[in-house]
Amino acid sequence: MPAPAATYERIVYKNPSEHHYMKVHLEFQDHGIGLNAAQFKQLLISALKDLFGEVDAALPLDILTYEEKTLSAILRICSSGLVKLWSSMTLLGSYKGKKCAFRVIQVSPFLLALSGNSRELALN
Amino acid sequence: MGRRRQQYAPASPNAVSTSSSPDFQKAYCRAQRDPYFYKILKVHMNFEKRVEGNAKIFRHGGVCGFGPTVGYSVVAINHVVEFKEKKQEIEKPVAVSELFTTFPIVQRATSSRVRLYDIVAVFPKTEKLFHVACTHLDVDLVCITVAEKLPFYFKRPPINVAIDRGVGFELVYSPAIKDSTMRRYTISNALNLMQVCKGKNVIISSAAERPLEIRGPYDVANLGLLFGLSESDAKAAVSTNCRAVLLHGEARKTAFGIISTVKKPRTSEVDDDSLPACKKAKCES
Repeated sequence: MPAPAATYERIVYKNPSEHHYMKVHLEFQDHGIGLNAAQFKQLLISALKDLFGEVDAALPLDILTYEEKTLSAILRICSSGLVKLWSSMTLLGSYKGKKCAFRVIQVSPFLLALSGNSRELALN
Repeated sequence: MGRRRQQYAPASPNAVSTSSSPDFQKAYCRAQRDPYFYKILKVHMNFEKRVEGNAKIFRHGGVCGFGPTVGYSVVAINHVVEFKEKKQEIEKPVAVSELFTTFPIVQRATSSRVRLYDIVAVFPKTEKLFHVACTHLDVDLVCITVAEKLPFYFKRPPINVAIDRGVGFELVYSPAIKDSTMRRYTISNALNLMQVCKGKNVIISSAAERPLEIRGPYDVANLGLLFGLSESDAKAAVSTNCRAVLLHGEARKTAFGIISTVKKPRTSEVDDDSLPACKKAKCES
């Protein structure tokens, strides 16, 4: 008797995560410059606009946490916009005439990964 | 066994960072032990006239010391020489022990003092020079201008010859950070180059004059994507291709990469009579 035909369904996950999360730190040449969360977001959007234009400045970008004292933040961006946001942060040179630089500390498609840095593991 | 790595704050411009500062040594050792790729950072130092003054500013500015804190394991110091008259004496590179220990130095010209440098790069401004640099000149890197519209178009034959020889093409990204017109020129020149060379043998470096203009290695690899490289090529532009250029520079000093001469300290009168080592090897073979 012939075996009953088996049905298969193949599911391929290329990238199950729609968003990428970045942990960044903004560094100024002079100390003592403060930015609140709204100004920080405005800076990111203007960096995107300078390099890529209006369309990419409208990418869905969220600031999940922001610390004003250390000027560090965790951002969320849709996966297709990661390269654009990252390169526009890299090429950002100044804010209101003052020289600054973005230091990207961690990038991951999973938010949980930002809580620990495998390069700082203490193996015993 | 892993070691807990601390975050080091970058040197502030007012701090005096000497080559023996413990922070720098620690940061440098940490960067060297990094199992991830070998990252090479090129730093720009303008040596036109005030050699001593600039060297001091350079040291105090802490640009070199900043490299390892951002994640680089090798830092190259760039010594730019501009040719105004035909014959110009190239200054000897500042003794490496004065700045830091065992750092490769990049020079942008050809002369008899070239042997003192580890990497030799050429910045051609005309089509003829570019062709000669790719095919005949004994250099390791050909720099592509980013500050202006390309004065000539890239042709495929000399670039293919250069790739076969192992000569790398260098793109600089720090003008793109300062000015928006420079950004356009940088990206358009880079895209032009990629169309012809297909992303092989390209390295991306920063001509940073201040610690703030340096970007981390992964950031630069991401910039490579903007310039038209594929993902693996972009990562190679910061790591493997740079290492290849360094090895090319080392091989340039030897005879076809097989024999190299090392200076032996003179111990006795007997050494004066014997032939120098390289001549001996030739006679014996």
